[in-house]
Amino acid sequence: MTPRGAATLARITVLVAPFVVWVPGSAAQEERAAIPGVSLGFVYEGERIPPIALQPFTGGGAAAEIASIIATDLDYSDRFYVRDSLPAGVDTEGIQYSLWDQYGVDWLLTGNIDREDGVTFLDVELHDIVFSSIRSRARFPIPPPGHEAFRLAVHRISDAVVEWVHGEPGMAASRIVFSMRPFGNPDSKELYVVDSDGEGLQRATWDDDLAVSPAWSPDGVRIAYTSYKSGLPRIYELNLVDGSERTVESNSSGAQQFSPSYHPDGDRIAFWTLEGGDTKGISTYNIRDGCCLTRLIAGYHQNIQPSYSRDGSKLAFLSNRLGPQTPQIYVMPGEGGDAELLSPYQYGQGGYFADPDWSPTADKVAFAGGIVDERVYNQYDIFVRDMDAPDNRLVRLTNEGNNEDPSWAPDGRHLVFAGARSYGYGVLVVDTATGRTRLLVAGVRAEDTDWSPGLSWRGDGVETGGPGSGTRPKDAR
Amino acid sequence: MSKSRLILAACATVLIATACRPDPPPPDPAPTGPTPEELERMRQDSIRAAEEAARREHERREREAEAARERAAAAARRILMETVYFDYDEATIRPDTEETLRAKLDILRNNPGVRLRMEGHADERGTSEYNIALGNDRAESVIRFLTGFGLDMGRFASVSYGEERPVAQGSNEAAWAQNRRVEFVITAGGEDLGR
Repeated sequence: MTPRGAATLARITVLVAPFVVWVPGSAAQEERAAIPGVSLGFVYEGERIPPIALQPFTGGGAAAEIASIIATDLDYSDRFYVRDSLPAGVDTEGIQYSLWDQYGVDWLLTGNIDREDGVTFLDVELHDIVFSSIRSRARFPIPPPGHEAFRLAVHRISDAVVEWVHGEPGMAASRIVFSMRPFGNPDSKELYVVDSDGEGLQRATWDDDLAVSPAWSPDGVRIAYTSYKSGLPRIYELNLVDGSERTVESNSSGAQQFSPSYHPDGDRIAFWTLEGGDTKGISTYNIRDGCCLTRLIAGYHQNIQPSYSRDGSKLAFLSNRLGPQTPQIYVMPGEGGDAELLSPYQYGQGGYFADPDWSPTADKVAFAGGIVDERVYNQYDIFVRDMDAPDNRLVRLTNEGNNEDPSWAPDGRHLVFAGARSYGYGVLVVDTATGRTRLLVAGVRAEDTDWSPGLSWRGDGVETGGPGSGTRPKDAR
Repeated sequence: MSKSRLILAACATVLIATACRPDPPPPDPAPTGPTPEELERMRQDSIRAAEEAARREHERREREAEAARERAAAAARRILMETVYFDYDEATIRPDTEETLRAKLDILRNNPGVRLRMEGHADERGTSEYNIALGNDRAESVIRFLTGFGLDMGRFASVSYGEERPVAQGSNEAAWAQNRRVEFVITAGGEDLGR
């Protein structure tokens, strides 16, 4: 632990987090059946959220716009308390450590636009106010505003700041894909993509049929999904870089294929199929070599919605083997084998649990569901089972409306999900550490939300660099 | 008064004059019968007329038979395509569903060229993917019923739309009951129905 980290910890003990946490229970209007052993809402783990301020970025051009995007990103990261006003007498020529210390921030971010050989850069400095020193600095190439890669390049800076301070990946440079009925065509569903901050909503498919259950590849450049466009639901893989599309597995020509999940190696997918003669279950296929269709589970019961663990060694999935009307979440080895119950089933209690999604950073599985019956339908909540926690903890993260299709952000901390509230439908994001919830896209009846891995730009030669990278200037430390 | 009487008298005169005109002499009857050529032509004409009548009668019967066949085919199609319904989160065949399926069974037995695609659907309750699985269970349940009576499984295919294609809008039991269903599409042999 760095001296600075120790100092921060010392301050944690005396300061109360100024962050206003969202308490799910306070807004509860509906009666929800209690699940024994499940704690409601967030688990406040005593993490202090450090205050940060952004000194107005200098150098003209897009400096102010970039600072604004980063400030929003750092707020949405839920790892900083972003001060949205400035102390009087700020001088952007230098760093007034004592002024910022009196203002009560731990961190100060500065940025300066610089141009070199026709390329625009942002030089970023993260100042440790407690120690009156520079913690990190880096130079990031910035495409011009309006360029397709502009916002993504700025989001990468935000993720670098998160990594500098917390040593963990951020999620600003990422996108969310979901399915939705396009306006004016209620019989079809198409895929849409939106940035992690709710900007840049774009349509991704034009199948003019049902496009459902998308999954983002580990390298972030492909989306596998199910489309009914051939008359039979089949899995296709969309390449986001060149816009091409291909069928994934074409040997089993009569099978209906659903809900692909990429193995972390990006070469294999798990999915579930429905075939003639009551044959159904979960299979894997090597999409790189186009071979090796392997069935992991088959049988009378439904075994659907596989989701690979972060190392590919396990699969979470839904099964109704305990009976109709009680689908539950199970975990089995990645190559198939005995399954263990993961969702909170108790005999005689019922319960409906679905949509499992395995965290990319930990042994945590998010899923949707609740104790429901045919009168209380579609009032599901989002749950997380933490298998890394000693008590195999199960946490409920929502307590109103309907909540389905949770998917982990690349930071392993946030979840995106499709929600229905008294004010309408939307795509929502919840921070599993604090319970804070925000509306990502308002007013859309989204389904099948899936969060991408960390993204970098790969189009027309512009490269924004890997997570937390950036070119360190020669004079850095 | 005297003027109208005069008119009446004039009318009577005209009537009497017309009635009393003598008839013209009747024409002389033809002294000879038809020639052999004429007889032969008449014979041929009568044969043609009889044949024409028979042909028309045959065509009429054909038309009626075809109409009957079409009516039967339409009735068969109607029975084959009649949607069946299910209970909440269930794929088991209800008694009313069984009756509908038995009617289909008879037609399928008599028309071995007919192939069907079963399209399974669910109501809006539950998650969308679970409902896809549920819709398929319903389609497969129907196929299992039919093949249980000895029909070839190769004649049937299934596809599930889950909750994506409701026929009734609304969040109430009346709408849900209509949406929990299996629809039938004739994919082959439909033109041979009724023959």
